[in-house]
Amino acid sequence: MAGATAELSTALPEPVRAAGRFVVRWFPLVILAFLWDVVSGVVGAAVLPPPTVVLTTLWGMLSSGAVLPDLGVSLYRVVWGLALSIAVGVLLGIGMARSETVEDFFEVFLGMLYPVPKTALVPLAILWLGRGTSMAILIIFLACLLPIVLNSYNAAQVVDQNLIWSARMMGTSDRAILWKIVIPSTIPDIVTGIRQAIPIAFIALTGAELIGASNGMGAIILSAGQLGTYPRMFAAIVLISATAFLALRGFDRLERRVFVWV
Amino acid sequence: MDGHVVVSELQKVYASGGTVTTAIDDLSFEARGGEFVSVVGPSGCGKSTLLYLVAGFLEASGGSITVDGNPVHGPGTDRGVVFQDYALFPWRTVRGNVLYGLEENGIDEEEREATAQRFIEMMDLDGFEDRYPKELSGGMKQRVALARTLAYDPKILLMDEPFGALDQPLREALQDHLLRIWDDLEKTVLFITHDVEEAVYLSERVLIMTRHPGTKKAVLDIDIDRSGPREDIVTSEAYVDMKNTVWRSLHEETTQEA
Repeated sequence: MAGATAELSTALPEPVRAAGRFVVRWFPLVILAFLWDVVSGVVGAAVLPPPTVVLTTLWGMLSSGAVLPDLGVSLYRVVWGLALSIAVGVLLGIGMARSETVEDFFEVFLGMLYPVPKTALVPLAILWLGRGTSMAILIIFLACLLPIVLNSYNAAQVVDQNLIWSARMMGTSDRAILWKIVIPSTIPDIVTGIRQAIPIAFIALTGAELIGASNGMGAIILSAGQLGTYPRMFAAIVLISATAFLALRGFDRLERRVFVWV
Repeated sequence: MDGHVVVSELQKVYASGGTVTTAIDDLSFEARGGEFVSVVGPSGCGKSTLLYLVAGFLEASGGSITVDGNPVHGPGTDRGVVFQDYALFPWRTVRGNVLYGLEENGIDEEEREATAQRFIEMMDLDGFEDRYPKELSGGMKQRVALARTLAYDPKILLMDEPFGALDQPLREALQDHLLRIWDDLEKTVLFITHDVEEAVYLSERVLIMTRHPGTKKAVLDIDIDRSGPREDIVTSEAYVDMKNTVWRSLHEETTQEA
């Protein structure tokens, strides 16, 4: 049966197939909205606002521009947290792969940091940095660091020896090998690390803002929850999910354009 | 002519976990400047190890290697390796790969662009300058690798089974291409292969290595007339005789312990 379907779908013209795939991809969201609506009818709109109300509220928040400063500050924190984790993570990962001393120095520390839920560190981060942006950036940085370190570490360990030799025979010094060969070689894996880190950044962001920020999407979710304005709370959740989704999609597009050689 | 390689009493020993393996033992031979020498031997005889020792990628355990009288310690731009797996930089285009060695040696921009273009054309790669390695076939990748190595003008070409991963027609086309350019470039070539026909077809001399540990079994002068087309060469009596001689010598090695 599966074979027959596959044959049928390859026989269809390309636009029809694309439309079919689009429907299959987004249909689960329609089912979710439908179930949500049904449950909302059963338990009552006060406890679970129906999706139409949530979407109307979201539209209101966006069109009035009222949510934009919070969305902006959240994005600012994600971008800085990610950027820091990429800068430090790539250096750390490659450093650990190329030097035993660096590896020994960080191995235990990173191994112990790995399983710690990064939001558990929020109270400590608040103590050091106070509530707000710096604290959120630190939490995002810590959460994103590990996937980036691991990916660049693994990639730098298996750099093709023949590439290094090729560069050496053409006159590249031992020190320049790092910049000219090792780092470019690890780019595909660094990109993979960043792709893994983007959703993690949004998870860490929301966690940090729920506990320790007076603005940002996490703060909206918390305050709306406490005030009982559940449509607003759900609208903020939908907005942050959609933003994270679009960020990942945008990154993939950018990556295909920048790293055409991968 | 420059590019005179002398290998004398070369030894390479690998030690790991208490066991000592001798890859190459007491190997001596030379390749005169501008000469085309092939190295054949049963698999595992250390012929690639020999090439990497001459390239300076590996350090000899004993004996010596000199190029024009200077002992080899580490890689140098007087020697260029062409690898079987091409070893192109995937993040650089065809032109970028060919330019690499020129950039590293401080050639000014105008000259290196012109030089790169010359070798791109020599290897029939014009029109593909802006492609990345992943977009190229195996044969094209190997032509890029050759262009990249030739561009920075090493005196000695060290080729490690460069056509081993290619199918027969492509391999023959690249062999002929290599012979054509070798005539003009005046470079010493050390060519590793396990293919007897390839060795006889290309080289002026063939070094046959013994099975484990690798050392010199014989060096044969290949005296054949290469002026005609491939069909004439490979059907000539001299070629067929040479091929059989090399094959028999190699065959003794491969069947010795089997």
